[in-house]
Amino acid sequence: MGLVSATLLRSLAPICLLIAIAGLVMSIGEPYQIRVAYIFFINLTAVFALQIYMGGTGHASFGHAAFQGIAAYSVAILMTPLALKRLLIPDAPFGLAAVHLGAVPSILIALVLTGVIAYIVGLAISRLGGVAAEIATLAFLVIVHVIFTNWIELFRGPRAFYGIPSISNLYWGLGAAIIALLIAKLFRDSPYGVQLRAASDNLLAARAMGVPVERLRLLAWTLSGIVMGMAGILLATYLGTIAPSSFYFNQTFLIMAMLLLGGMRSVSGALCGTLVISIGSELTRSLESGPVIAGIDLPAMFGLTGFFLGAIIVLVMSFRREGLLGGEEFEDLFRQWKLKRKSAADETSADAPAKQEA
Amino acid sequence: MEYFVQQTINALSVGGEYALLALGLAIVFSIMNLVNFAHGELITLGGYAMLFSAAWFVSDPIYLLPICVLAATGAAILFERVAFRPVRNAPETTGLLTAFGVSIVVQNALLIFVATRPKPVPIPDWMQGTIQIAGLHLPMVQVLETSCTVVAATGLILLLTKTNLGLAMRAAAKDFTVVRLMGIKADRVILGAFAVSGFLAGLAAVFILARRGAVDPMMGFSPVLKAFVACVLGGFGSLLGAAVGGLSLGMLEVLLQATLPSEVAGFRDAIVFLLVGAVLIWRPTGLLGKRVELGDKE
Amino acid sequence: MLQLTDVSVSYGPIQAVRNVSATVEQGEIVALLGPNGAGKTSLVSSIVGIIPVSSGSVGFDGEDITRTPVESIVRKGLTLTPEGRRVFAGLSVAENLRLGASTQSDRAAVEETLETYLEMFPILRERYHQTATTLSGGEQQMLAIARSLMSRPRMLMLDEPSLGLAPRVVERIFEHIVELKQSGLTMLVVEQNATEALAFADRAYVLASGKLVFEGAASELASSDRLMEAYLGTGVD
Repeated sequence: MGLVSATLLRSLAPICLLIAIAGLVMSIGEPYQIRVAYIFFINLTAVFALQIYMGGTGHASFGHAAFQGIAAYSVAILMTPLALKRLLIPDAPFGLAAVHLGAVPSILIALVLTGVIAYIVGLAISRLGGVAAEIATLAFLVIVHVIFTNWIELFRGPRAFYGIPSISNLYWGLGAAIIALLIAKLFRDSPYGVQLRAASDNLLAARAMGVPVERLRLLAWTLSGIVMGMAGILLATYLGTIAPSSFYFNQTFLIMAMLLLGGMRSVSGALCGTLVISIGSELTRSLESGPVIAGIDLPAMFGLTGFFLGAIIVLVMSFRREGLLGGEEFEDLFRQWKLKRKSAADETSADAPAKQEA
Repeated sequence: MEYFVQQTINALSVGGEYALLALGLAIVFSIMNLVNFAHGELITLGGYAMLFSAAWFVSDPIYLLPICVLAATGAAILFERVAFRPVRNAPETTGLLTAFGVSIVVQNALLIFVATRPKPVPIPDWMQGTIQIAGLHLPMVQVLETSCTVVAATGLILLLTKTNLGLAMRAAAKDFTVVRLMGIKADRVILGAFAVSGFLAGLAAVFILARRGAVDPMMGFSPVLKAFVACVLGGFGSLLGAAVGGLSLGMLEVLLQATLPSEVAGFRDAIVFLLVGAVLIWRPTGLLGKRVELGDKE
Repeated sequence: MLQLTDVSVSYGPIQAVRNVSATVEQGEIVALLGPNGAGKTSLVSSIVGIIPVSSGSVGFDGEDITRTPVESIVRKGLTLTPEGRRVFAGLSVAENLRLGASTQSDRAAVEETLETYLEMFPILRERYHQTATTLSGGEQQMLAIARSLMSRPRMLMLDEPSLGLAPRVVERIFEHIVELKQSGLTMLVVEQNATEALAFADRAYVLASGKLVFEGAASELASSDRLMEAYLGTGVD
């Protein structure tokens, strides 16, 4: 069986779960629940993207929210109607104030642009490796944020960019999350992914075996950057309003906590962590703030959610480093569970005659 | 002439500040492979200690300065005890992420329990003024900070070369197991490393606060990011690299500050980081680094 | 003096040492022999607490030290000169020796000990202010041994002191080991150089694939070609 079909088959259960969530929310949900589910799919796509890089290389990235921002701003600048753009960014450089594209070309350009930027940045990051690479990702996040907030002619600075056509709906979110899941799984099980994981376990041994570590890191980084771009496009085309602060620290540690809780080494872990934290943060929000106002960042709640997310990261790192799923995929866990049950059954049947003799 | 001297002392003081922070990061990293992301929160906590002390029992702001240093030192020791001990022998990324979590927890705890907006902190008046040296008017803060950095660096060199604890810390950076085989308690060496790094952060915090005059929960992030970049620039894990990286970064920053046209002044940090990135593409192991993979111990 | 009872050491699912029981008496030199990968280093590392003992117990002077941390074991008077010497790079010979004396609080006694070993290893006095990494392999080995001795141990374990050294240098190291024995120090010496080690050892243990396959007088092992061949493969090459 080929890699693609095997991956498809192995991904069937999580895909069904995502479809069920979407179906359930669409059939009985209020607009608020639909919004929550949509945000869940955005974050899930983002967490899958982060998993591709972090799960492969074993290195942390604090820079991925920047890719989300780059793609989101790209579609915003390309898709927003001209009349609005004259108001928002009348002095946009490169004649962008006069450009208006449809959804499909805008999205494609946004993804390509994100990919190109990811590739260029990745050239530096993949060469550094280790702690230096991790710090470089953080510097990258800050660089992009500084550009968003200071290049006022193009990005409107710290103020919100609004009026982006809200063309997407829950099914876009569902579709993007499924695509991200499949890409992450395919990459993980592909020869590249396997070699990269081997290199993160033992760099010298992998190098000695001729694994092109830098090139594979670059591949993982670029691929995950593009998938992260999908999450950015989802955000922009659903909310219709974006601001630089949406793609900075809060987003970085939200998706980081989601990935780490489930376990960064597996795609199933990414899904699991995102699900738990999404439900958890909805619960704290409804518990704490009484009447709910639709929106992601409620200022009064911000500290508490952040506090919990930070605590989750510290606790997971201290007590269950590999996350809830221990770095395994669902199907592997299921197989292990079946094996264990089988061997337990064998033992009891082997014990039985001995007991009779006694 | 006066302008040139002023800019030089400015560059030295900013560079010195980054060097103090970078040295603290490098000491902890060299000994236990931990990238202390929560280093910035030491500055923040030092600042809040000043705020609370001023509100409760300290009337003369001069006493706030040692309080800030002590609080940062204490916080460093506390972080090690509570959060970093369980991940002591874990892979680098685990330690880094733990510290990242600690940083988020502290920031958000301050957001919840204190305030989201900046709060003014009293600073002794004489620190805000200027001082006249050889006919030149120089800002007191910068002169003090430069001299403090020199004194602290000298003290650090003495500690590392003349005391048993310092020797053990240097040895532990090379081979922790053998240090323990000498009968030296691992906890003491690590405690020493955190205390030193907290002390240096506290010292830097005094001057950071003297400049900005207010505290807020996120204030530690930006200086420590610079310190991280300084460490990478100098070669991660090397103390000399941290000092050199910190000074170079500070000077680069002041140079850009003085020369950039005002339209692009806001991009200063981005330009600094991009320049550092360019240096790293040219020399991936940093200015003084020579390791195969950055951050790996020899 | 040292008592191992059913000691096992594991790295995850792999057992490096299986149920080893052994003793070292006061004043003895005991050789721990065996081929590469037999588990010798794992065993001595676990005795001194660098890696955990997974089952069994280690006693030193009648006291159980199975779970005692490294630094406390060293303070009780049992120490190890690790394989590969591991002198502190970047520190001088003097600083290396000073770190070795970290457990000692009596300054006069430290000076005395230092004098004793500088006397024993004159090359260290010559190189006293040089960086340890500028020393030759043999000199580094002497520094590593002297550094361990600075804590005035009652028992010293040496892990492969001859590793990577020229035969002439190995001979000198072994002479020093005999000298140390005469001063009353108890020693456990891990060696691959079986013939030479058996010349100075009182008793020997042979480890193969983590299991003890021989224990007895050194002379018994050394005089039997059959045993030497069977356990240590000498004579085959």
